[in-house]
Amino acid sequence: MMNFTLLKHEMLATIKLFSIILAVLMLYIISIVYMYNPEMSNTLNKLTETMPELMSAFGMSNIGNSLIEFLSTYLYGFLLLVLPLVFIIMLANKLVIGYIDNGSMAYLIATPNTRFKIVFTQAFFLVASISVLLTATTLIAIIFSGILFPNELDLSAFLTLNIGLFFLHFAISGYCFLVSCSSKDLRTSYAYSTGIPILFYLIQALSNMGGSLEKLKYFTIYSLFTPEKLMTQDSSSFWMLGALFLIGLLCYMLAIRVFVTRDLYL
Amino acid sequence: MAMIEVNNLTKKFGDFYSVQNVELQIEKGEVFGFLGPNGAGKSTTIRHLMGFLQPTEGQCFIKGLDCRQSTAEIQKFVGYLPGEIAFIDKMTGQQFIKFIAQMRGLKDLSRAHELMQYFELNATGLIKKMSKGMKQKVGLICAFMHNPEIVILDEPTSGLDPLIQTKFIDFILAEKEKGTTIFMSSHMIEEIEKTCDRVAILNAGKIVATETIADLKKRKSKKFLIEFQSEQELSRFLGEQLKIEQIGPTQAIIKVQGNVQTLLHTLADYKINDLDIISQSLEDIFMHYYESGGKE
Repeated sequence: MMNFTLLKHEMLATIKLFSIILAVLMLYIISIVYMYNPEMSNTLNKLTETMPELMSAFGMSNIGNSLIEFLSTYLYGFLLLVLPLVFIIMLANKLVIGYIDNGSMAYLIATPNTRFKIVFTQAFFLVASISVLLTATTLIAIIFSGILFPNELDLSAFLTLNIGLFFLHFAISGYCFLVSCSSKDLRTSYAYSTGIPILFYLIQALSNMGGSLEKLKYFTIYSLFTPEKLMTQDSSSFWMLGALFLIGLLCYMLAIRVFVTRDLYL
Repeated sequence: MAMIEVNNLTKKFGDFYSVQNVELQIEKGEVFGFLGPNGAGKSTTIRHLMGFLQPTEGQCFIKGLDCRQSTAEIQKFVGYLPGEIAFIDKMTGQQFIKFIAQMRGLKDLSRAHELMQYFELNATGLIKKMSKGMKQKVGLICAFMHNPEIVILDEPTSGLDPLIQTKFIDFILAEKEKGTTIFMSSHMIEEIEKTCDRVAILNAGKIVATETIADLKKRKSKKFLIEFQSEQELSRFLGEQLKIEQIGPTQAIIKVQGNVQTLLHTLADYKINDLDIISQSLEDIFMHYYESGGKE
């Protein structure tokens, strides 16, 4: 199923990008946990009152009083959506179309490994990297919350929230991987794998502003990730997770199929 | 059974035929040359052999295995040098060779070291900083390090300096001795002539001829550029029974097919300044096939 030499190579080749993304996220997580202060959220609430549209566009509409609500507002509306997305886009493009575009894929598939094995290894590596990244951010948040505000964080709600985030990124990475496997060159692949998620995010931002724009939520994948519902473990959040998982799985399956059967000009 | 077999291979891109009805049969131990100008479809044919492309029509087989179905199985005994030189840039040459060996499940790197020594390659530097010729050597080592039965080389000597080109030709001859089947494309007739048993000439996606090198040699005429010491000498020479074309006051080109003995005997009577052999280019050979209607 997998080639471990290739897997090891990808690990070493990705460690730098991974560390940078993780370090930036860690910095933000720590400072936002640090910023948490029941009194301070009053100030932020006032800020929200003065410019509600702008704040809600970034998913910062109702800042609750608990630590988890605070974190979900400030981390899960923007930072933990966008930074992992940057990581996913760069990695997904490097893993397949990067090799095709510069021609080195010829050497990989000129070894006695089936194309399925090569592409499955790459897909596995992408999913594994995302889960390691999100596990690390979750642990960092839990540990620092525990140090600064012992017993303040609702652990089970926080874990559900992060599982939801993983499924969201799983679905998006499936899409990016599909683009990477089916594009004819690196530039086209980057354009589609960056453009569509950003478009989805902007639609989400608009629909968050409410009013007649709210209907736009049916046109973006980000609507399937709802921190408020996940934290309360609302039943509708589970079928949303299921939908995200299905989208991701279908994308990955299709991507593998496309790569195995496509023409390669190497 | 033919080692490499291409049956009626056709690949169409939109309305354009990249290759059309290509037929090839390469036997065990044969060194087979694949000649043609750029864009003739040599690489496209090779990509089909490697299973990179799905033929529009026809099939390719290596040792009886379908190149599209059994790609991984075939790669166990095939070595391949791509036409485009591309590696994973962030590795050193040695790391890359080791990486590909591991991808192959090859533990014994003695052959790779032998080859590095033979081709005088110091592969400790980053591939990104290597010259074209050094990269080509890395590619050659990757193609041969697992002692493959069949080797497919897409323009193997491009980028190599003349000294290494000669070494490469000797190396191919040694591999031939060992019984390796070699299929190599080129647009340089000299290297094909020195190494191959048979050649196929491809033009605009179609095979215009498949011949043995011996036959091709017979057809190839040699041209000599001779500079005489004086105009009188040349005008005297013009009376000889040879194919002479005057190109300057004291220079002439003589075309000889087959035996050069007569020319040398004749020349002994003349005072000349210089003699040059103009090697026949691939285009000249092609002209022959164009003239004969492109069919053989």
